[in-house]
Amino acid sequence: MLMNSHFCGSSEHDVSRRAFLRTLGAGTGLAASGIGAVHSFATPALNDTLKAGGKSVILLWLAGGASQLETWDPKPGRPTGGPFAAIPTSVPGVHISELMPQMAKRMKDICVIRSLNTRNGDHGGASQLMMRGRLDEPSLRYPDMGAVLARELGRADSKVPDYVSFYNATEGRDFSRQSSSFLGARYSPMKLAESMAPPNMKRLESITELDHYARAELQQLINSQFVASHGTGPVKSHANAYARVHGLMSSEALFDLSQEPAKARELYGPTLFGEQALMARRMVEAGVPFVRVSRAWWDSHGQNFETHQEMVPELDRVMAALHDDLKQRGLLERTLVLAVGEFGRTPNINASLGRDHFANAWSAAMFGCGLKGGAVFGKTDKDGQTVVEAPVGAGELFATVLAAIGVNPKKEYHVGARPIPLVNPGIKPITQVLA
Amino acid sequence: MPTDPAKFKLAKEISRKDILLCLARVPETKRLFAGSSDGCVYHFDIAAEKPEGVAMEGHTGYVTGLAVAGQQIVTGAYDGQLIWWDAGSCQKVRGFKAHDRWIRNVVATRDGKIIASTADDMVCRVWDAATGKLKHELRGHATLTPNHFSSMLYACAFSADGTLLATGDKIGHVVVWDVATGKPLGTLEVPEVYTWDPRARIHSIGGIRSLAFSPDGTQVAVGGMGKVGNIDHLEGKALVEVFNWRKQERVAKFSADKGKGLITHLAFHPQGEWLLGAGGDGKGLLFFLDVISGKILREEGALTHFHKLALDESGTRFYTAGHNKLAVWEAAA
Repeated sequence: MLMNSHFCGSSEHDVSRRAFLRTLGAGTGLAASGIGAVHSFATPALNDTLKAGGKSVILLWLAGGASQLETWDPKPGRPTGGPFAAIPTSVPGVHISELMPQMAKRMKDICVIRSLNTRNGDHGGASQLMMRGRLDEPSLRYPDMGAVLARELGRADSKVPDYVSFYNATEGRDFSRQSSSFLGARYSPMKLAESMAPPNMKRLESITELDHYARAELQQLINSQFVASHGTGPVKSHANAYARVHGLMSSEALFDLSQEPAKARELYGPTLFGEQALMARRMVEAGVPFVRVSRAWWDSHGQNFETHQEMVPELDRVMAALHDDLKQRGLLERTLVLAVGEFGRTPNINASLGRDHFANAWSAAMFGCGLKGGAVFGKTDKDGQTVVEAPVGAGELFATVLAAIGVNPKKEYHVGARPIPLVNPGIKPITQVLA
Repeated sequence: MPTDPAKFKLAKEISRKDILLCLARVPETKRLFAGSSDGCVYHFDIAAEKPEGVAMEGHTGYVTGLAVAGQQIVTGAYDGQLIWWDAGSCQKVRGFKAHDRWIRNVVATRDGKIIASTADDMVCRVWDAATGKLKHELRGHATLTPNHFSSMLYACAFSADGTLLATGDKIGHVVVWDVATGKPLGTLEVPEVYTWDPRARIHSIGGIRSLAFSPDGTQVAVGGMGKVGNIDHLEGKALVEVFNWRKQERVAKFSADKGKGLITHLAFHPQGEWLLGAGGDGKGLLFFLDVISGKILREEGALTHFHKLALDESGTRFYTAGHNKLAVWEAAA
């Protein structure tokens, strides 16, 4: 009873989120009985309710720059091609690296952009460019994709975070330049770098669960009465922040992967990247609008092929797992998954059998909400040195994600009197990959 | 009279557009065969004034293993195929899919009767060189690293008498096999060659990249790279460790003073006077070692990254294959 009142809301969508959190709240007991909380949540009726609700994006951030030649745009038999073969996919005529057999089978649902020409081969600048869709102006820092989507897809009364970012590797963490900028701290990411769950999330042992919720109710009552009589913005803001923290504490089970059955964990694999991708699925299921799962560090100046032989099969497994899991749960229609880093890697192979930074002709891959499965957009030359068909930049990719998820890229924010469009003027989504 | 390593000088250099990944020499001749990144095997007559490689087409991936077995050449590639070629006509004799994953090395016994191939299916297969028939499948290496990623089986080497075979993998595990029975005789652990970075970059680099038996078969030399700070680059020190493999005792360890990168090939002098390693990072490295004293005799940065070398019977000349280069090195009289 107490928990029902705690998660009170008004809209249908909120009802489903309430139900989810309530289920999670009961997770301890369910886990003890051997039934995962999320599984009891994943009933068809509840998922249908969620499907009608908000949309989400999972960004698989391939930090350091994965090679397009060892993933989405192989050039077998060419001097730049490297040692790996290309394999056919479920889309006739489309080949990808043999390191990605799982994604090759699922290609009918995947969309590949092979013509990114972003012209920035510096880790820091390129990370900023790809995360924000454009470079900052001297007097204006733009919000990144996560902040924009948190703003556009998040719910004001959400009890779960709007923007979560996993980045455990220390290399490149500072390059990622996440920024909510003028959107405010409300849309800053919850950064998880040291653990799979936020610190200090657990209720103090000295406070009983009953007390915990009673205190929240009391705080809510006092706040509502104060707001009713005074109506001040700061009090509302404080009340919202308190409610979000309290909601987060209630969703402790959300961050508990042990509640996933062994079969699901096996699907994603035992690596950190796999576990965080599984966590991302749990989060979008709970209504988190934007989750970034970073896989660092791909910067293979030496031994590029050994690095990619190690890391690409992991990426293949994780992307395939996300695809299948989201699809099986009926969540793929409302979830977009994007795999991209700050740039690709040089077609030329250096004497250390490495590839260096390269931003002139590289690739990204997406699937899910609003996208045309099996679409391959753009083309590079036979050696992968230049884009020969349909070059696009970071802005177009950013606009495509927005359009696919149902956010109008032409929408404007205002900083003071100045209108700030979500993407720079003239930048358009890649309509050929939109469903 | 021992050959002084200090006397070796570059005698000939042949520039290439491709990457030469493996190399073998027909005994008592100056005929070389090299495997290339373009999927071809090239035949070179080094005695010619301007040696030019004659292409032998058959593979569809990087050619990474090559051995001379009597009058035949056997090559292995990333396409998983082994191909037998006639060493005289350079024509293909037979070829078949020998491994499910990428072949890393092919070696032959000195008498040319037995071939061994290693691949990333983590199996070493031993073949009858004359017929191409499989003699043994040697399985002694884990398919996954301790960090749940696919391992790699880079290296293998026969003893001089052909009775022993050593295999070495990414995480530094060596198995010595009885060639006649296909049974393991002993193992060694060389963990320093494998760097797993759990914090900064969350992947790995390294591995056992080369193996060699001493002429009497009592010692096994293991080549690779020492621990690496920044695994984006081949910046670890070149490393060679030598073991009495039966006692599982390390008898010498050589960590380069300045030379960075991988030791990708090891060869003992025919009389055991010294051990020669080759490899490097973006630059080549020649690494002459005295196993008895434990001293580095010569450490020379040279040309470009070397993938393989071939030492002749006299121990006074060797050949290197590497990134865009084939080279001949001779000891001055």
